[in-house]
Amino acid sequence: MGFVAFTTQKHSRFRLDPRTKILLTLVISIVMMAGTISGPSAWPRAALALTPLGLLLAERKYRQGFYYMLFFLLSFAMETLFISRTQGALNLILMIIASLFSRFVPGLIMGYYLISTTRISELIAALEKIRLPQQIVIPFAVMMRFFPTVIEENAAIRDAMRMRGIRLGGAKAGALLEYRLVPMMMCTVKIGDELSTAALTRGLGNPAKRTSLCEIRLMATDYLLMAFASCAFMLWMLL
Amino acid sequence: MKKGINAKDLINIGLFTAIYFVVFFATGMLGYIPIMMLAMPVLCPLVAGIPFMLFLTRVHTFGMVSIMGVILSLLMVLTGHPWQLIPVGIVMAVLGDLVLLAGEYRGWRSIRLGYVVFSEWLAGLFIPFFFMRDHYFAGIRAGYGDAYADTLMALTPPWVLVLMIALIVVGALGGAYLGKAALKKHFKRAGIT
Repeated sequence: MGFVAFTTQKHSRFRLDPRTKILLTLVISIVMMAGTISGPSAWPRAALALTPLGLLLAERKYRQGFYYMLFFLLSFAMETLFISRTQGALNLILMIIASLFSRFVPGLIMGYYLISTTRISELIAALEKIRLPQQIVIPFAVMMRFFPTVIEENAAIRDAMRMRGIRLGGAKAGALLEYRLVPMMMCTVKIGDELSTAALTRGLGNPAKRTSLCEIRLMATDYLLMAFASCAFMLWMLL
Repeated sequence: MKKGINAKDLINIGLFTAIYFVVFFATGMLGYIPIMMLAMPVLCPLVAGIPFMLFLTRVHTFGMVSIMGVILSLLMVLTGHPWQLIPVGIVMAVLGDLVLLAGEYRGWRSIRLGYVVFSEWLAGLFIPFFFMRDHYFAGIRAGYGDAYADTLMALTPPWVLVLMIALIVVGALGGAYLGKAALKKHFKRAGIT
């Protein structure tokens, strides 16, 4: 479950407002999913596909950036060079791989960037600032708070079973489900009850507008990237 | 029956959505093994039936299941999955919520049907392959010629989407029964339903 691990890092080196990241994620997801690989609209697509690369590098995630660049060059080469020069089944396989990759991976990388550089409290503050109702923000925050707990409980149950010499696998998939999932859910529900009591005593039920310790502000780079995303989106719509 | 959604309900929604998502995601990891790709629409709702049925024991008013659908699709899209999940997820969750409301969240028949409807949010993940077909194939036709586009179109017929939806129905039905059995066997006895 590596991908739900939001960062706990205090200040990332290159700070973007979570709202900018959300906008970029949406634009990349929309444009990459529907774009064509030839013609004029290929340009905004290419620019958007390279955006997560730039962001990863700015964040000094060189390893991830390198892999993504490798992937990008590979799928670009597949789309432009190999597909028009191969025939039959090979061509089809290449085509399917290339189109799947170029559609889904940039969005997933952008999502990875979003969660690996945003603290949960920042994200929550941003969701509140874009005026999502409390009925959505509170469960969302609780859900984020609970991912580590669920994983921790799961590890504890695995250890407990190993200690008693219970091994499951292969044919016993049903038993695996029962022995792992049921205790995990029981623990989590109990923890959830305690958490909700604690949260209520801290005034979660209070209808007043809550403040946040976490300051998020739109800076020059945010406006720049938002303008870039909007331009790319408009361009893609018009072309 | 209490009316309205209070703070405790909101916490319960978040809690069960977390469990639901972890279970769903762990099962979905199997989808990365190529042959299991087709099994994913069956297996995910099947296993996730257990947390969902436990969640339903905490649901007493309209809106809770809908909110679960909203934050679930929000999380999926923020992690870079297709944006079509948001409209599909919200519509399916609200419809499922309405079905469940018809049985006042207790009637077994409406629970079974409601879970099937709710589980269809997953179809949003497959929609880009099929929904954007014309747009997509127009681009391919321009780039690679008619013969190529026709072959590819023949290989990805639109009924595959119907098949996916049907597979989700099968998985969700199984999940409803599995969840009911797990509730009866474990959670009722432990006194947490």
